[in-house]
Amino acid sequence: MAGGLPHPILLVDEVAKNVGLYKLNDVFHAQVIDTNVIYAWFAMGLLIILGMLATRKLAMVPSGLQNFFEVVVGGLESFVVENIGEKGRKVFPFLCALFLFIITGNLIGLVPGLDSPTNNVNTNAAMALTVFAYYNFWGIRMWGAGYIKHFMGPFWWLVPLMLPIEIISHLARPLSLTLRLFGNVRGEEIVLVLLFALAPVVGTFPMYFLFSLADCIQAFVFFMLAMIYLKGSLEHAH
Amino acid sequence: MLGKLIKDRTVREAIASASVIGLNLVSATFVGLLMGWWLDRWLDTKPWLLLTFLILGIAAGFKNVVVEVKRIQKADAEEHEEHGDTDAKP
Repeated sequence: MAGGLPHPILLVDEVAKNVGLYKLNDVFHAQVIDTNVIYAWFAMGLLIILGMLATRKLAMVPSGLQNFFEVVVGGLESFVVENIGEKGRKVFPFLCALFLFIITGNLIGLVPGLDSPTNNVNTNAAMALTVFAYYNFWGIRMWGAGYIKHFMGPFWWLVPLMLPIEIISHLARPLSLTLRLFGNVRGEEIVLVLLFALAPVVGTFPMYFLFSLADCIQAFVFFMLAMIYLKGSLEHAH
Repeated sequence: MLGKLIKDRTVREAIASASVIGLNLVSATFVGLLMGWWLDRWLDTKPWLLLTFLILGIAAGFKNVVVEVKRIQKADAEEHEEHGDTDAKP
């Protein structure tokens, strides 16, 4: 819940400082690794541990953590298959990992003493560029050189106009993915810090409900857009 | 409204899709502008490529909006078909 503003204490940063996780900066001074990277690791570690706990004792009738993960992953999978079709099962692991990582990253930002990895442009740009590379990879893998037809619009005489327009709108996708997630998460955290300064606890408490909802919606938006882009490259050009 | 947002999946999806439109328009414009500016600097053709690509970028932004709205309308029509009410359809 820092949002780039001065923060009294960041727990994971302190831990990293104490176990000696340093990098050397330009003038060879020891410096703690950037907050967004450390918290991305933290979110990854959290997800790995939860996944291990959930799959340790698999049962036919799921209960507890296994039940929770089956509901989440099953719901997402049926959503993807509903939208893309059976081909969607091949790309589902990527989309699901994206969703789980983003929602974890967004929500740990609401815990006092932790920070969101997604409130930094670098994390989001990395994810958005991965999505961009991934859906183009699938397009080329599915259609080969015929993938260019996806960029040519409906009529042959519109090609000189549609080709640059399509290329621009495809290049705009990673930009808008990055900025949407960054703006929402960073904005939330700044609002939380400012409200905490105005009226500690009383001011921030109601915002937690709104922001935890908004965090889930932002993770869902990123997931949904990645799915739509993959759908566009997997299905036949119009 | 908040309760509806949590309970109803379609409301959530509609909000997610609608929140996408605005930034798509702007980001395509900016990408067009940046491409034009960069090409102008590279090819030394100030200011023609900048203007061309800016207009192309704006067109791409509007194309994004049209595509997105069509998708929302299609999802909406399917939703109404599932529930069997026909009066909301155009």
